Amino acid sequence: MNIITGLINGMISGATPILLAALGGTFTFYAGIFNIAMEGMMLGGAFFAVLGSYYFDSWLIGIICAILGSLLMAAIFIFFAVTLKTDEFVTGIALNLFALGATTYMLRQIFNVKGAFSNPGIVPIPRIHIPFVSQIPIVGEILSGQNLIVYITVLIVMISAFLIFRTRFGLRLRAAGYNAPSLDSSGVSSAKIRTWSLIICGILCGLAGAFLSLGYVTLFSENMSAGRGWISLAAVILVNGNPWGIALISLLFGFTDGLGLLLQQYMPSQFTSMVPYVATLIALYFYSIQARKRKT
Amino acid sequence: MQRKLISGIVGILIALLIGALIMLFQGYNPLQTYAALFNFSLFGLYPLATTLRNSVPLILTGLSASVAFASGPINLGQPGQLLMGALFATVGGLYLDLPAFLLIPVLILLSMLGGALWSGIAALLRKWFNMDEFITTLMLNMIADFFTYWAISYPFFDRNAYSPMTPQINTKAWLPIWGEFNSNVIVMILAFVVIYFVFNRLTAGYEWRITGQNSLFSRLGGVKIDKNYVTVMLVTGALAGLAGGLVVMAGPHRFLKGLGANYAWDGVMIAVVANNGLIGTLLYGLFFSALQTGSLGMELITAVPKEFIQVIQAITVLVIVAGRGYLDIFLDKTLARRKARERTT
Repeated sequence: MNIITGLINGMISGATPILLAALGGTFTFYAGIFNIAMEGMMLGGAFFAVLGSYYFDSWLIGIICAILGSLLMAAIFIFFAVTLKTDEFVTGIALNLFALGATTYMLRQIFNVKGAFSNPGIVPIPRIHIPFVSQIPIVGEILSGQNLIVYITVLIVMISAFLIFRTRFGLRLRAAGYNAPSLDSSGVSSAKIRTWSLIICGILCGLAGAFLSLGYVTLFSENMSAGRGWISLAAVILVNGNPWGIALISLLFGFTDGLGLLLQQYMPSQFTSMVPYVATLIALYFYSIQARKRKT
Repeated sequence: MQRKLISGIVGILIALLIGALIMLFQGYNPLQTYAALFNFSLFGLYPLATTLRNSVPLILTGLSASVAFASGPINLGQPGQLLMGALFATVGGLYLDLPAFLLIPVLILLSMLGGALWSGIAALLRKWFNMDEFITTLMLNMIADFFTYWAISYPFFDRNAYSPMTPQINTKAWLPIWGEFNSNVIVMILAFVVIYFVFNRLTAGYEWRITGQNSLFSRLGGVKIDKNYVTVMLVTGALAGLAGGLVVMAGPHRFLKGLGANYAWDGVMIAVVANNGLIGTLLYGLFFSALQTGSLGMELITAVPKEFIQVIQAITVLVIVAGRGYLDIFLDKTLARRKARERTT
């Protein structure tokens, strides 16, 4: 029984950062932006989360700093890709490397360490224990006692689905991606909609980063996003941006993450760490087969 | 050509200026810092030789990305291909015993094979199952990262070492060093010349380029797109693998953890700033290498940490790419104005 609850809890904490970043990516996906900068935004968020939490002794300020840091990256993306109309792919690649360089640089400059910064002074985001629910055997261990961000994420999935498919903003968002000129000619600036989608993406990636450095673990290490931004991009593409589909597929990736930890008893950790990436390839395989069937 | 040169130089100057502002903001002396940076990378025989040596992996991965992007496939797998190439060369260097004039070419071929194998997986996944190489190569990067880490931790682990690394390869496989100059530069130049010739002078290269610009047009013109796709993936993978092999054979002579560093991603950036031009890749590769080589000296002389260079690199890329379009408009305007003035007089 313990293995199963452990596996499920591992799945949830593995899925959360991917899910948050992918939800951010889905807004830009619908707005028609080829956004590959989630990795950089997440990394920026993770760094500033530690910075805020450490200097203000508060996880809440940590989260706020994470969002601000991630928004800074988003602002750079907006300035180049939307305002100056630089190629989005190029901007994304440069931004990811900028985030990697800048966080490594600041890690050294501000905390005077190389590689990783961990300190008891960093306040992690608390786990929420729901009264009564936590008493229920097995289910209680899963529903209660998760990190605060996990509950926020569940909320954000619902809000995103509502926002994208049920509101005027969502309609405009999808129109910006589907046919930007017609949106422009109906009097709504598609550039503005794109900017908003990137801001939302920045906020969500900031939360993802905060979860990485203040929830999943309590430290910041160089390049700690470790390809999660890329996996979230794959998740968005695999389900064509549907928030519920993204939630499902993120859980699947999270499961492989947890599975990898479990398998560590049987094989070298290097192979178990590969599992999420191999799972992405397998998911992409099924997606491509489906897509081909649909075409013919 | 001239215009590209102008936009590059202007972009680099603006990026250095932004870097100087950041340094001023943090209370460093930018002039002193840049003087130290370029003193240790360009002025003098040893700094120049080091810059040249360090530029090899950057230029080769940059070439790999340039050729791929210009021909269509979005091969972002250079980091993984570099590692696999390095691993193949290392394993060959550990177990083969041939005279140097045979062993070095064999290892070079092995490293190319390693890279091509890794990009070939992505190419086949695309060919058979229509899986987007953009994501598969990225995932293969992570897998190669862990795979090589395993390989140097267990099967090829050096028992006398405290951290994951292989023993040193056969000394006959070490690339010869003449005075200050490392011969890995020769291999890089050879590879560059071959790629330049194929890309610009042969029918195959023409087909790649035209497919990159307009795949429908080239297909109607009778180009076998699928076959070319696989060829380009293999060639670009081999280039990235070669970069990895040369890193091992010229540098530490063994595979240590973190060997690939950021070479491959920097190479992708170089391709991007060079707008996938081969000569541009060479020049920007040298410039990036100068920055990285000088960063150690910069850290030594001034208090600026060497990681600052990564920030400057990303700023350079953004400024040049964003500025390219604007500079074109600006130059066109001034040209038109001058012509108009000539006509009136």
